[in-house]
Amino acid sequence: MDFNLSDLQRMLLDTAERYLAERFTLEHRRALRDTADGLDTEAWSTFAELGWLALAIPEAQGGLGGTMADIAVLGAALGYRCVALPFTSSAVIAPMILAESDAPQGGLLQAIAEGISRVALAHDEPDERYNYSAGRRTMLTDSGSGWTVTGQKMLVLDAPSATHLIVSAGGDDDFTLTLVPADAEGISSSPYPLLNGARAADIVLDEVAGGIPLARGRKARTLLANALDYGRIADAAQMVGSMEADLALCSAYLKERQQFGQPIGKFQALQHIMADMFVATHQARSILYSAIAAAEADEATRSRAVSLARINIAEAHQIVARQAIQLHGGYGITDEYEVSHHYRHQIVLEKLYGDVDFHERRLAAD
Amino acid sequence: MAIMNFELDPALEAFRQEVRAAIDADLTLELKAGMQAYAGSQAEPDDALTWMRILNKRGWSVPHWPIEYGGTGWSAMQLYIFNEECCNAWAPDTCWGETQMCGPVIYTFGSDYLKEKFLPAFRRGDYYLAQGFSEPGNGSDLARLRTAARREGNIYIVNGQKIWTSSAYASKWGFFLVRTDPNVKSQAGISFLMIKLDTPGITIRRIPQLNGEADLCEVFLDNVVVPAENLIGEEGKGWTYAKFLLDHERTTSSFIFFNKRELARAKMIAQNEAQDGEPLIRNPHFRSRLLRIEAELTALEWSVLRELSHEDFKYDATAAASTLKIAGSRLQQSINELQMDMLGAKAMRAFPFDPADREDAPLWPGYAETATSRALVMRAATIYGGTLQIQKGIIAKLAFDL
Repeated sequence: MDFNLSDLQRMLLDTAERYLAERFTLEHRRALRDTADGLDTEAWSTFAELGWLALAIPEAQGGLGGTMADIAVLGAALGYRCVALPFTSSAVIAPMILAESDAPQGGLLQAIAEGISRVALAHDEPDERYNYSAGRRTMLTDSGSGWTVTGQKMLVLDAPSATHLIVSAGGDDDFTLTLVPADAEGISSSPYPLLNGARAADIVLDEVAGGIPLARGRKARTLLANALDYGRIADAAQMVGSMEADLALCSAYLKERQQFGQPIGKFQALQHIMADMFVATHQARSILYSAIAAAEADEATRSRAVSLARINIAEAHQIVARQAIQLHGGYGITDEYEVSHHYRHQIVLEKLYGDVDFHERRLAAD
Repeated sequence: MAIMNFELDPALEAFRQEVRAAIDADLTLELKAGMQAYAGSQAEPDDALTWMRILNKRGWSVPHWPIEYGGTGWSAMQLYIFNEECCNAWAPDTCWGETQMCGPVIYTFGSDYLKEKFLPAFRRGDYYLAQGFSEPGNGSDLARLRTAARREGNIYIVNGQKIWTSSAYASKWGFFLVRTDPNVKSQAGISFLMIKLDTPGITIRRIPQLNGEADLCEVFLDNVVVPAENLIGEEGKGWTYAKFLLDHERTTSSFIFFNKRELARAKMIAQNEAQDGEPLIRNPHFRSRLLRIEAELTALEWSVLRELSHEDFKYDATAAASTLKIAGSRLQQSINELQMDMLGAKAMRAFPFDPADREDAPLWPGYAETATSRALVMRAATIYGGTLQIQKGIIAKLAFDL
């Protein structure tokens, strides 16, 4: 076993830390709220130039063929700077599905790698809660002159800046994943921001034509399950990075902030809160590694490891991000201090693709 | 190239099978049953010594020691696997004070005389060893300890009182921290002394505990004469050696194997205890507690593996060791408390601590006889070896310079 970074990972991390620290300042992230779709297009081009958007794409398909560990190294760096761009949806989840599909996709993976295309996963539907196994009410039908998709999707993360959607459709017996252009006729989208500045949309698909079925039946379910677990690990890495930022922010603040004539870090009550945050964050990184180690295992082993990791990291986040605000006093609840951004970012990451209850139920089912 | 590699070396699996077969052949049913029926935290001293003697026949009683003193030369991961297999098989613990604490101090700092006198005896499991650190007035503030050893020619005269001395009543020797120089700064006047416990002037009192056991002792020393050759290393260096001890073995305080074994026992209880005919493993409340503990335990195991693999760590390594201690001791408590809680009303019965004193109770499952007792005594896990609050202080200082 070796937990140290390879030379390439070290380079990836150094570059990411340097670039993201410079680009994703608090002011810049707040300014991104005024953009139409939340996307920092200049940064996204840089992500492409640095190879980050090709990391999860297999080498045979023009990508870098990075491992889950590589993705997690970058994910933690993104989390450290609260970056809420479509990295997980477009550069992890979508490529995992597209790369395993036999359907012709017109060079979409290459376009993702180049930063030209972004792909969002449209799966959730109204009146359900983290349901990744049941059939969809959205239907894919053969109209005689091609496939059309009709249905209502909800909470499609990163849809406002996406060029394509992967839409799940079909009942228990004919589950499918279909690729449709985001601007296809018949699509109407109601976008909104999430707590961390990311964007999502509720989407109506009304006889949308021109879709490409990527996978059907058992294969479609397997591709979705695999891609979501990879996405859960990538997001877990971002949570760990964000918690590690909380540690740095808080320990610096405790030394700087004076009350009762001394730095508040001299107070044992606050020191012990820092220690609790340290233990939780250290443990969170450890269990992230256990999930990465299981990423290539069989589905049962992998999903078990991922769910245990997501439970523990969610619990760690609840200690770390909340106490980070407590340690900052009133400043902690303002929009002008980093810790409130990390809190909101971690809440979004914690609730994506399954919360603690979801993962407990998934573990109990096996 | 050293790529983040989380896979175990395949050769270790063969090692695991070899070790498992050996333990299976060597561990007697009496020892195994004794551990399963044991209601305390560590094994009975007699059982520990019996197991040491058995292991010694294979040369495995002190595997982590240097080869010249009887170690095996196994790697850190091999030691990890060996200890896990012993624990899973319900082998007794070994005498911690000898194998983990005093032995390493003697072979690192001790004279040839002390090495010859003690190391082979420790390795063979000849007798049990007690640890005399804490005093009634000095627990967390150990550096101010007052038990005095006054040098007179070739002897020390020792006067004072020690407390929380585990198994002193069953021990032949003890290793003590004593003050040899009252005139210097508190840490500088402390020395490490080996004292034979049947020396005149020593009185030992067993302290009755909340779970019916009486393993912790008070040791009174009244003009006890100790040969000066029993001093380990140099006079005044005792504090340095004690710190060496704490740094020597960073991962054992996680109690990772104990915790894994007790979680398995908790799951067994969850399958056997039922509400309205439904086993508790399917009860959402208990299922949730089990899973959260399993997640925390998985995190702890990977924290231990990170430590064993010498990960480059951006914080002080001692802060990581305190993390293992904090997370491990909390799990010792939460797992045993979960066992107790799953017993419901059955958890209230006060069974005798000694299995020999327990009457046949056909309506009562065997695990009910020990779970509550362990849960009670595990409150000590966040007290001994540096309290939870001391550990948090270490992290605040070493990781964050607060």
